[in-house]
Amino acid sequence: MTQCQCDKFTKMLPNELDGILRDEVEILLAPLSDNTAFCALVKEALNKTNPNLIKDTAQYNRWPLLPLLVCDTICGNWERALSATAALQLLKSAADVFDDIEDADNTESIPAKYGIALAANTASVLVVLAEKGFTRLKGRGVNSKTVVKLIDTVNSYYAKACAGQHLDLSLAPEEITREDAYLKLIGMKSAFAAECACNTGALLAGANQDLINSFTTFGYHLGMAAQIANDINGITGLKDINNRKITLPVIFTLAQAGESHELLKSAFVENNSKYTCSPVQIKDLLVHSGAIQYSIIKMEIYKQQALSILIELERTGIGIEQLRQFLD
Amino acid sequence: METKELQELVRKIFSDEETKCQFIANPESVLSKFSLTACEKEAVLRSQTKFGLINYNSLQLSTAVPLDNYWL
Repeated sequence: MTQCQCDKFTKMLPNELDGILRDEVEILLAPLSDNTAFCALVKEALNKTNPNLIKDTAQYNRWPLLPLLVCDTICGNWERALSATAALQLLKSAADVFDDIEDADNTESIPAKYGIALAANTASVLVVLAEKGFTRLKGRGVNSKTVVKLIDTVNSYYAKACAGQHLDLSLAPEEITREDAYLKLIGMKSAFAAECACNTGALLAGANQDLINSFTTFGYHLGMAAQIANDINGITGLKDINNRKITLPVIFTLAQAGESHELLKSAFVENNSKYTCSPVQIKDLLVHSGAIQYSIIKMEIYKQQALSILIELERTGIGIEQLRQFLD
Repeated sequence: METKELQELVRKIFSDEETKCQFIANPESVLSKFSLTACEKEAVLRSQTKFGLINYNSLQLSTAVPLDNYWL
């Protein structure tokens, strides 16, 4: 990275890059401009994924910028990854809408508010517009071969995510109460987003395959840590308890013998009310069993593994500060 | 990555008052009784330093995990 490019990038963070990404998303939505209602619905879906994509919320969220940051870290030219970064946000939003259709557990979701038909159509157009976004990379100086490779890679990640979602939807609750099975599942359907973002950024930076692999593995560990953080929030905020969602803290306590096991099995696996227990009592039980502590330790393990990769990269002369902030 | 020893360590700390006190006073002495990997040991110690032992009313919970993650 040249000093000039580095200064330019540093000066732009954090809020201006959010704005630039917003402008790029607006460009991708241009084909819908003559249909106000449809465009508003698409924007509502995007807003649910990340409010910063639609308007300046003054709350900096670095996650959507991950491909830009990886690309800039490697080659000092984040512009090369801008269209792809916007396209990935559209794909993420489409996945969220499809997820809401499939899970039917959120009364504020697009399908809950507007019906499955409109929701499915909204998700579909987000996928199509994302594909158009990838083709805009040619205007950013990315060659056709790289564009094709990127589209192929992103589609492979999303195919894996769909396979993970299929497992999640089709497995009986007792089949995902083993930690290794659960970690494999969240690797497929959750961590893939950060993994794909890092792969995208590295590929567009023109990195060699070894470097792409390193950043991709970094993204995987980062994504796993983030999902476990979500699992912890899902328990402390009660959302996952209310939805009887089996996540890492529940799996930890389910593996214990005794009354806690029976209670959680009744509530999460057998989905009955053999034991009358409020969500707060279940949270209390999970905290006192060490489930939150254990989950935090697992999150730290993934963070350490991600950090190890960054430190290795730093030894080769790559500046890692922007990416290290994801691990704070 | 099934980590039975790590699970056992956390269970022991949360179910046995004597182990909990020992862990708070001297984490290494408790860790030495379990076959943990270097990465696991470091994560346990780091978690303990950053958050302590999480209990129901733990203030640390609000800072333990990021809430600005729109990706997952």
